[in-house]
Amino acid sequence: MKAIKGILMTCDPAVKQILLFFNEDHSFIIEDLDDYHVVIRADEERKVRSMLEAKLESNTYSLEG
Amino acid sequence: MSNKRYGDDFGNPSKRPRRDVDEDEDIYIADEDDVIPPSPPDTMLIPRPPTIKISELTRRLDPHSVEGDLSSFQVHRHNQNELVSIIFREQDFSWLHLKPDHASRPLWITPDDGHIILEAFSPIAEQAQDFLTAISEPVSRPTFIHEYKLTPYSLYAAVSVGLQTEDIIEVLNRLSKVPVPDSITNFIRERTLSYGKVKLVLKHNKYYIETSHPQTYALLLRDEVITDARIKDAAQKVDSSIKAATFTGTNTPTMGAPEKKDGNPADAGLTVGVASDEVDEDEDTFTIQIQDARVDDVKKRCTEIQHPMLEEYDFRNDTMNPDLDIDLKPATTIRPYQETSLSKMFGNGRARSGIIVLPCGAGKTLVGITAACTVKKSTLVLCTSSVSVMQWRQQFMQWSNITQRQCAVFTADQKEKFAGESGIVISTYSMVANTHNRSHDSKKMMDWLTSREWGFILLDEVHVVPAAMFRRVVTTIKAHSKLGLTATLVREDDKIEDLNYMIGPKLYEANWMDLAAKGHIANVQCAEVWCPMTPEFYREYLREKTRKRMLLYCMNPNKFQACQFLINYHEKRGDKVIVFSDNVYALEAYAKYLVKPYIHGSTGQVERMHILNHFQNSPNVNTIFLSKVGDTSIDLPEATCLIQISSHFGSRRQEAQRLGRILRAKRRNDEGFNAFFYSLVSKDTQEMYYSTKRQQFLIDQGYSFKVITHLDGLQDTPGLAYRTKDEQIDLLSSVLLATDSEASVGGDVRRNEEDLPGTVTSATNADFGMSGRLPGVKRTTGSLTALSGAHHMSYVEQNKSANKKLAREPPVRNKLFAKRDRDRIAARKEAAKAAAAANAASGRA
Repeated sequence: MKAIKGILMTCDPAVKQILLFFNEDHSFIIEDLDDYHVVIRADEERKVRSMLEAKLESNTYSLEG
Repeated sequence: MSNKRYGDDFGNPSKRPRRDVDEDEDIYIADEDDVIPPSPPDTMLIPRPPTIKISELTRRLDPHSVEGDLSSFQVHRHNQNELVSIIFREQDFSWLHLKPDHASRPLWITPDDGHIILEAFSPIAEQAQDFLTAISEPVSRPTFIHEYKLTPYSLYAAVSVGLQTEDIIEVLNRLSKVPVPDSITNFIRERTLSYGKVKLVLKHNKYYIETSHPQTYALLLRDEVITDARIKDAAQKVDSSIKAATFTGTNTPTMGAPEKKDGNPADAGLTVGVASDEVDEDEDTFTIQIQDARVDDVKKRCTEIQHPMLEEYDFRNDTMNPDLDIDLKPATTIRPYQETSLSKMFGNGRARSGIIVLPCGAGKTLVGITAACTVKKSTLVLCTSSVSVMQWRQQFMQWSNITQRQCAVFTADQKEKFAGESGIVISTYSMVANTHNRSHDSKKMMDWLTSREWGFILLDEVHVVPAAMFRRVVTTIKAHSKLGLTATLVREDDKIEDLNYMIGPKLYEANWMDLAAKGHIANVQCAEVWCPMTPEFYREYLREKTRKRMLLYCMNPNKFQACQFLINYHEKRGDKVIVFSDNVYALEAYAKYLVKPYIHGSTGQVERMHILNHFQNSPNVNTIFLSKVGDTSIDLPEATCLIQISSHFGSRRQEAQRLGRILRAKRRNDEGFNAFFYSLVSKDTQEMYYSTKRQQFLIDQGYSFKVITHLDGLQDTPGLAYRTKDEQIDLLSSVLLATDSEASVGGDVRRNEEDLPGTVTSATNADFGMSGRLPGVKRTTGSLTALSGAHHMSYVEQNKSANKKLAREPPVRNKLFAKRDRDRIAARKEAAKAAAAANAASGRA
């Protein structure tokens, strides 16, 4: 019996697509539940969050940008 | 806070009384008393507004009630400042000392870059605004806070309309919450004093620099760029010919002795004074003749050495060039803002060169025509396309009493010269700037144009003309004064600065919001509608290349639905709707699905006219779809609502041009009438980035964009497009099959030979590097058998998109949550039961 600590992420469908996209390179998704929920590995959470942040930020226009 | 600032304070301790919290209250009082009287010395000269005294008085009358609160407030404020100053770094000006009555004054001035912040809600904001537009350039004018910037050009403009240096400083000081910083006073003094010392004069088709100050003359002669551009021989000959022509209002110019170049200026002055006998001594003028081709280098250089050249044309006293008999028709009325803009140009009875910025639909053409009627000399009008050449001509006929014979047109098809000695020629930039491949006719025409001396040159849509082309125009055509007209003085490539020395400073910029409030242009409600991407589309979006991505976010089913909903909604209100899409594929898909007429680059002329006619006159056609062709060349005063589904990346100009389509709405004078401008944006895509960037210009003009994340009643729309997953997936697969060229935004509008690059925002000549190409010929090798299908070629889709299969099933909630849902329902039932029981119990009681 092997147990992995997971975290349930609730997100909108678009963000879930981004997560799936990231998952192709480094796999961290344990279970893809439905349009709004995925379970990911707990130890990857921080990294996933920062990647997601960067991805979403790239679509934001700022005056300095 | 940096240490430097603290250092500053030692030198000027009264500057920051408020920040020393450790000291007790008595010191505050002392400080405040200390600070009120001196203020800045300048203010003492003028009577202070009465409000100052009152506030001062009230403070003194009951110091206690105020003081108690103040000190705790001060402590709090200080702590706050500490927290905030880190964020602002260099921009932290909390050390500036506020005047005691600052609340009644509307301005802030930043010491280092001359930015002025105006509180537009202040009761005296309107007067302040008038003053600020005279001395500075508007940067951004939203509803409550306006930003202006002092620039050398704006100050020159201020001086040339007769404002005195000290007056400017005085009034600024009166309006400002903080004493005008020394850096700013110095800046104003420096710039205003050097103004007007150097003049650029055109005589006999030759350019001269004139100055009446020996020091300045010496300075100019020492400058390498200027001496380079100078024509040294022919000095004497030219000299005598100029003497006859003294129309510029200055005294007879004489050639400064060239051999005295490095001698001391006083000496040079003396020589000249002796040489020219008929000149009175204190009005000596020194002249340098410069080569035509180098004019702009010299102008640029003069600006760099802070002696900008004054280009004023004293047209009333010009006897050399024949007058043109042109006047506005008596029925023509000029709106107040048009008059203001012209008064900036003809401020002192002479024509100053520069640029006037007015929004689309506010009557730029009439301003140009009125200017031409004021100068009354031969005029050359340059515009961007042959279509607008015809429009200009027609407008000239309409508003002024010019005859057909005096108003000539020079395009590829028509080459006319006006009859008589003077007249108007209307042409395009490319016709004039083109240097090669000229037909014999146009060459002859060009020779005629360049051999003449023009009183006035009118440059339409100046912001689109590339610098190189402009330079050619400006150097080949000799004109005494130039006027540039534009709606949007922005470019994505920062070339806008060049216009400053090629044409002149910005003379006037209208406040869009003001014009809208006065009913000259329509009131527009702007909104950005956020449409979430469907998961299937977003999945593909993340994996696609740029071109296709674009198509994916345009074709997003949610956007489609939003578009459909908005069209329905506005058609019901009786609006005439234009839908803009840069992407032709999306345009056709939308229009065909919604059964609306559409026009794009390859729509024939007859069909176009037919559709536009219907749109304008028929009550059955209330919506049309337009590609980029509609950006400029089509005038539709009926349109009152505009929906944008795809656009050219981050082009601020395009956004403004499109908004311009509805600014001239015919119904704008109806009470409470609003025009609508929607931008549909797919969430979480690059479109969000571009959309915000595009809006910057309009935001600076005071427009605010509402964000709509949810359209009420969207789901109830009958016949809503792509409601089911199946339809959405079919749409997706057809989008994915579209070729790259279909996905690109360019290629639709093919430019006319005469049109300028940049007037039409097509990717073939995109202004910021995103160049796309028209689909070229593709070569592949293959045998004839293979091509004919005899090579066992058959199509099998190997790599089926996973979401095709997945998404056809309705979205299911994972079993994991089934229990949670059950629990929730159970809990709700439980609660209902309990409530019922309680009700029953209370009823019984």
